[in-house]
Amino acid sequence: MANSGIELETNGGSKHWDSDSQPNASIPISTVALPPASNFHCAFQKIAHSVKIVIFTAKINVLLPFGPASIILHYLTNHHGVVFLCSLLGIIPLAERLGYATEQMAAYTGPTVGGLLNATFGNATEMIIAIYALKNGMIRVVQQSLLGSILSNMLLVLGCSFFAGGIVHYDKKEQVFNKGTAVVNSGLLLMAVMGLSFPAVLHFTHSEVRYGKSEVALSRFSSCIMLVAYGSYLFFQLSGRESSQYSRIDSQEGSDSDIQRQSQSQNSAEPEDEEEEPEIGLWESVAWLALLTLWVSILSEYLVNAIQGASESFNLPVAFISVILLPIVGNAAEHASAVMFAMKDKLDITLGVAIGSSTQISMFVIPFCVVVGWMMKKNMDLNFQLFETATLFITVLVVAFMVQDGTANYLKGLMLVLCYLIVAASFFVHVDPSSSDD
Amino acid sequence: MMASTEEEKTGLQEEAITINGSPMAVRKMQTFEHIGSLAAVAQSYGPRSVKSRILKSIYIVLIKAKINVLLPFGPLAVILHYLTGKHGWVFFFSLIGITPMAERLGYATEQLACYTGSTVGGLLNATFGNATEMIISIYALKNGMIRVVQQSLLGSILSNMLLVLGCAFFAGGLTHPHKDQDFNKASAVVNSGLLLMAVMGLLFPAVLHFTHSEVHYGKSEVTLSRFSSCVMLLAYASYLFFQLKSHRSLYNPIDSEVDGEQDAKEDNEEEEEPEITQWEAIVWLAVLTIWISILSGYLVDAIQGASESVNMPIAFISVILLPIVGNAAEHASAIMFAMKDKLDITLGVAIGSSTQISMFVIPFCVVIGWMMGKQMDLNFQLFETATLFITVLVVAFMLQEGTANYFKGLMLILCYLIVAASFFVHVDPTSDDN
Repeated sequence: MANSGIELETNGGSKHWDSDSQPNASIPISTVALPPASNFHCAFQKIAHSVKIVIFTAKINVLLPFGPASIILHYLTNHHGVVFLCSLLGIIPLAERLGYATEQMAAYTGPTVGGLLNATFGNATEMIIAIYALKNGMIRVVQQSLLGSILSNMLLVLGCSFFAGGIVHYDKKEQVFNKGTAVVNSGLLLMAVMGLSFPAVLHFTHSEVRYGKSEVALSRFSSCIMLVAYGSYLFFQLSGRESSQYSRIDSQEGSDSDIQRQSQSQNSAEPEDEEEEPEIGLWESVAWLALLTLWVSILSEYLVNAIQGASESFNLPVAFISVILLPIVGNAAEHASAVMFAMKDKLDITLGVAIGSSTQISMFVIPFCVVVGWMMKKNMDLNFQLFETATLFITVLVVAFMVQDGTANYLKGLMLVLCYLIVAASFFVHVDPSSSDD
Repeated sequence: MMASTEEEKTGLQEEAITINGSPMAVRKMQTFEHIGSLAAVAQSYGPRSVKSRILKSIYIVLIKAKINVLLPFGPLAVILHYLTGKHGWVFFFSLIGITPMAERLGYATEQLACYTGSTVGGLLNATFGNATEMIISIYALKNGMIRVVQQSLLGSILSNMLLVLGCAFFAGGLTHPHKDQDFNKASAVVNSGLLLMAVMGLLFPAVLHFTHSEVHYGKSEVTLSRFSSCVMLLAYASYLFFQLKSHRSLYNPIDSEVDGEQDAKEDNEEEEEPEITQWEAIVWLAVLTIWISILSGYLVDAIQGASESVNMPIAFISVILLPIVGNAAEHASAIMFAMKDKLDITLGVAIGSSTQISMFVIPFCVVIGWMMGKQMDLNFQLFETATLFITVLVVAFMLQEGTANYFKGLMLILCYLIVAASFFVHVDPTSDDN
């Protein structure tokens, strides 16, 4: 046991933050089945070891104490602003570890179920935050945070990646990526966004049959259709297609087992980074998945409860908090991994992460929230208000055009980041035409 | 008598061979038939031969095609119109009754095109291709139902770009499950670019109106619409010239008449062997057009009543139901070509039809309205304008890649469902019709 402990320590550094570490062939010792747990010492050591890998080896976990701190602050003081910020900071590492646990589990379950896992849990944080906001009746917050997540993925994440990649590979002048995949993915995203926009367009041309009720009915119908589309999208992607461009989309959260294998077969100089050797056992991953989800849910509740108060104490519009600040939390892990892959000149994975995540949100999370709202009897609909709808459509269109030529450089990245700054500034001075929050 | 029996024999043989489909024999039959028909026309005026020819013609055109099982609905609709006041039934029956006639009209056009060569044939297709929509629109214009005209033509474009294309991609993808189907990217891009420009040209009066920035409120859009329509008609004429004369090579893969290199394989398809003679084709063209006009009259009259009795918004009827009729034939042929892995033809049919409607039928209706003294304009209302523009943009973008699979088809169909659902809960902000 001590042996494996030492070996694993030299192997430190999580996949996301220090991927250049060499794997150690004797890793699987940790997953060897131990004799039944009559031996508490063994069980305790296994748990401690698991905790060490999941919690202590990742550098991001330095932010972990903010979680409990925010809960304490919630009960001790009435300072909503600080509670909000602390829970925001506290969720970030949890979201990242959630991605890690998903990835670990995917290593055991094979690419199909792994892809499904990534597809479902990839945006688990956004989903959890959105469902809590729905329960509180904060429908505008839900709409804006999901929309902001798409915007953040397409502008900020992509922009930072292109910029970072461009700077690191300055000598190459331009990085290339697979044009075909990018065009297909952005086409799908464009169609999904189009499907989402109709209730808003209907509302804003003041042309619905029953004012106020028709959009909700139409939104629910559209959401069911979008969920069917998402189901067939998953089926289509995971059913082992011949054309290689689809198999690359499997990595949506940085789980790049297939990608790595593919790129390895082409590029033998690349050391086998993370995949093929999961660091924790299958049941450990499941347990961590459950635990982290629970933890994220708890913190999300405090987060959502503190939004209104934070908005007042910091003097920030709720729109700004929902569209800009909340998605940063959900996207932090994807952001980091996308930037990292861009710096390693693997732009296909970056694009898969960014555009794939946006597509997932528009085709799955948003319609799912409408359906959940339907079941909770809240009037959640797809009527995103004119400004947000226009922003979303313009952004997706522009980015879809921009990835068409298959190259990236730091200027494109910089332009995307600056556009995001402008969008953020617009939301800073934006309130809904009627009342602020539902 | 000799000529007529010879012609009858040839006719029967030709029918037999059309079923088998061997190219060389068919070509010979074609020559014989030409000679035979000319000889028959010149020589035999006996009642028996004329009757038999008419009967044969009726058989080929009206009975052989399976879609003609829907034919009785036409007369039924007329009967119902006079017997009962049930507009809903009259509407639906005339809708179903027009469908086979629209298809037969396409068939007759195609047959005539075999005789006239590809240039005039292309022109014929271009003009008569959307004859049904044109006829329905002109009747609606006469009744002053301007919104119905606008919405049905717009719905026709939407249906072509989303439903027809989606069904074709889906069917083709299911028939060829494990690969992506390819099509000629260049012509698809060129066509969708043209469509986008045409749609842009159509949208300006609407944009002008909705930014409340016209000089004479209410009158400027009509004037602008009329001017734009004349410009669009000019554009359409040059498009035809471009397609049929000067840049034919660009369009070969998407010509609906598949000539050229694929002669050896494709001869047993409809093209090279017309089944009825030239004059018969012209006569049928005229007969079917008259028939369609009659039914359209009843159809348009029944719209208002149907909307009330079936409790559907008129917008839904105009945008979704009416175009299904006009597009039924194109729909079926597009799907068939997709399943045969000839996506270029499918795209030509779908996008070509949309372009035709936006560059020819809509401006033509504006001009006709001008002549009739009706205030038909291009001001399509904001929701429809936005829908049209978004749809054309998204589909144009999606076609750029040059491949198709069943999932893309499914996405297009689902988008069409969403659009249809939006129109189900849509009424015009002011009053319903005109």
